[in-house]
Amino acid sequence: MITYIIRRLFLMIPTVIGISFLIFMLVALSPGGVGAALRVAGGGATEATNRAVQEAYLEDRYGLDAPVIVQYVRWLGRISPIKFGARGQIMPTGERVSAPKPLAEPWTRAWLGAPLPAAPRGAEPWKAGASAEEKSIAYARASDAYAQDRAAYVAARTLYREALGPYLRSVGLSGAIRGNRVRGSMLADHTPDRASAHWAAIEAAGARMLTSYQRALASRADLAAAFAARPFPQAGVPVVPGVVSVAWPDLGMSFARGRPVGQLIAAALPVTIGINLIAFPIIYMVAIPAGIAAANRAGRLFDVVSGTFFVALWSVPTVWAGVLAVGFLANKDYLGWFPVTGLHDAGADRMTYLPSPRGDGTWSMGYLVDYLWHVCLPVLCLVYAGFAVLSKQTRAAMLDNFNADYVRTAKAKGVEARVILFAHVFRNSLLPLITMFASIFPAMLAGSVVVERIFAIPGMGSLILEAINLKDRELILANAVMIALVNIMALLLADILYAAADPRISYS
Amino acid sequence: MTSATPPAAPADNGPLLRVRDLAVSFDNRDGPRIQAVDGVHMTVHHRQTLAVVGESGCGKSVTAMSALQLIPRPPGRYDRGRMEFASKRGPVDLVALPEARMREIRGNEIAMIFQEPMTSLNPVYTVGDQIMEAVLLHQEVSDRDAFEIALQAMKDVGIPEAERRIKGYPHQFSGGMRQRVMIAMALACHPRLLLADEPTTALDVTIQAQILELLRDLRETRDMGMMLITHDLGVVAENADVVCVMYAGRVVEYANVLELFGAPLHPYTRGLLNSIPKLGERRERLLTIREIVENEAEFKRLPGAQGGIRPWWPWHDPPADLTPHEGPAGDYHLLEVRPEHWVGVWRTRAIEGHEGRLPDLSYRKPLSEPATGAAAG
Repeated sequence: MITYIIRRLFLMIPTVIGISFLIFMLVALSPGGVGAALRVAGGGATEATNRAVQEAYLEDRYGLDAPVIVQYVRWLGRISPIKFGARGQIMPTGERVSAPKPLAEPWTRAWLGAPLPAAPRGAEPWKAGASAEEKSIAYARASDAYAQDRAAYVAARTLYREALGPYLRSVGLSGAIRGNRVRGSMLADHTPDRASAHWAAIEAAGARMLTSYQRALASRADLAAAFAARPFPQAGVPVVPGVVSVAWPDLGMSFARGRPVGQLIAAALPVTIGINLIAFPIIYMVAIPAGIAAANRAGRLFDVVSGTFFVALWSVPTVWAGVLAVGFLANKDYLGWFPVTGLHDAGADRMTYLPSPRGDGTWSMGYLVDYLWHVCLPVLCLVYAGFAVLSKQTRAAMLDNFNADYVRTAKAKGVEARVILFAHVFRNSLLPLITMFASIFPAMLAGSVVVERIFAIPGMGSLILEAINLKDRELILANAVMIALVNIMALLLADILYAAADPRISYS
Repeated sequence: MTSATPPAAPADNGPLLRVRDLAVSFDNRDGPRIQAVDGVHMTVHHRQTLAVVGESGCGKSVTAMSALQLIPRPPGRYDRGRMEFASKRGPVDLVALPEARMREIRGNEIAMIFQEPMTSLNPVYTVGDQIMEAVLLHQEVSDRDAFEIALQAMKDVGIPEAERRIKGYPHQFSGGMRQRVMIAMALACHPRLLLADEPTTALDVTIQAQILELLRDLRETRDMGMMLITHDLGVVAENADVVCVMYAGRVVEYANVLELFGAPLHPYTRGLLNSIPKLGERRERLLTIREIVENEAEFKRLPGAQGGIRPWWPWHDPPADLTPHEGPAGDYHLLEVRPEHWVGVWRTRAIEGHEGRLPDLSYRKPLSEPATGAAAG
């Protein structure tokens, strides 16, 4: 059994890689590609040159200028718990930093003549005995400086490309500029015409590019030195020091929110789990007894009525039911029994946890009751459609077993009808219910997009919807991989439960 | 004909089970009710094996299951008749017993073994648990003692390594071993009557012989009565004391095993016996049952045929001098044609006033003496 579980866990790795690859490529294939929302944001600049600079900056900052497959491999490296090379460090904000990114070389440097000096050595980042805070400030300063210098270099490079444009067009090489990049290979054999009318502009832009490149190199060296001096605690545990280490997956930073994705999920997940921890027991506690009772009275009134009722509920679209619930049950013009949106009253932070008396003889609802009151309608919308499938499954499984020979044997032994129902028939009907659980459980963590949207609940469903709307790559990928993992885990759990429920199933 | 009571028989205070005029019918959605059993009479005595023989659908199993009220109702219904059982707490009518009292009898005083050992055990419990369930239901014992009883029951039915196998699940047992488990479960509470519904049909011949021998031994040591339902006449010859041949829900012939095999009176019984090959006999082909029952002359060979007594046969038109009784099965009577040999006959004028007694045989075949003249099945 243990061997089986371990084998299954190892098999998950290729599965997750496959799923993440598919999702990554789907995002990349969609109009605008990865980071489309960012490009749109960059497009806020009115002037074409400004927009080009802005775009180049963002692409550089988020690594969007590399080919999609390279981006994917980089992402995989971050998500993988097994890390290669220098270990990352965790800043107090929760953001994980690694060694500074390498700097791309200037384009067509040979045309500009001036040879570059050797890469500078970084300055000593801080004096020996500096406090953690001083180190942190020094690192942040070095990091900011590098970010600025790098941005300046990327901007200068973009302007250089803009300057190259008219010249290349005049000599019939306009294909050498593709998107934001200049394809050096196409220009390697070209001898530049320094007498061209465009040459003065090219030279000026080229000189600015080289200067900013040198400055960026210097500040990069400073940052590298600061990083090597380890201002923050290192992430993970080394396996082979300096080469291989094991660390929690780094889910990256959300493009749209500028916060670590891990933190966003950590905020949304408990909200969804909280609601589902109320909804799922209700579904199971209603549907399974109803299914058992329906099987026990197959074809009689209860069976027909409960079956019809549950299927009718199942047929009501959640969107409509949610809107009706808000419109009639929450609207103050009608019943107004429940709050319309959110999970808490505005003043919930000042409430006690349990209901408590206020000074004036009235009662304060308390945090817990306030929460339960707020989740009433969302939970209602989550559960009503769930009864049908589960109760029908239970009923069918029970009926299958009612006519089994061992039930007759048990009856011939003198076992009471009620004991036969539960100990013999229901016990044998567990397998389909376990299968159902495996398909329902992931939904518990993924959240319901519709319900969370209608009731403005900041759970996983809302988070995923927002991520998709904004094409927030990191958030989409992190959510997708998490849901994939939960799905695979649920299947594994179901397989383990099968073995527990049915002695005929064995994995050894 | 030998109908002498064997000396080993216990003091006979009446039969263990006496079935009188039992009728069971089933609801049929698209037509009239199906009369599965219609006026069946039979008895089972202590340490006696009554074999109930007949083709599929003749009502053998319905009769046995009625004794435990295992017929699902609806669609089933007990139309009339009694099944008088000499329970430890005095005589009871099994088909009229309330459910709570019935549960005390099921598995405790009357146990049943089914045809399908492969599916008759619950796959999710260990065999030990399933035997213990019966023990704990009917005996005031602790779990520990129940375990010991279950273990002993498994040893009694000859399951090797019972200590280890008691913790096994049904799927880990072979068919023969599962049937032994079923028998152990049935016998764990020392029932007085065992209903064995084709206990060996699903098993191969060597295992079949072992199981039947086991049942025979247990019948002797436990002082049980046994109703053995089968369609295998070889099994009947080997194991039965009294044979009850059924057809279309009624008893067509009822006699002790030697009598029945030696001198079958009803054409259907003759058909059954003739359709079996005999060792040392050369024949081109065997007679089919149809060849015999479709021969009018066969129906005239019954003693008393000259007096107007005709064997009952559902495919024949009733004789002209039929004087049916009021009510169901009124055209039929189980008549003691010869001493201790009953045949199902039409209730013609000749029967009127000569109904005689209904079948009740305490005959037990002497243990050493195999049924000579029996078909070698």
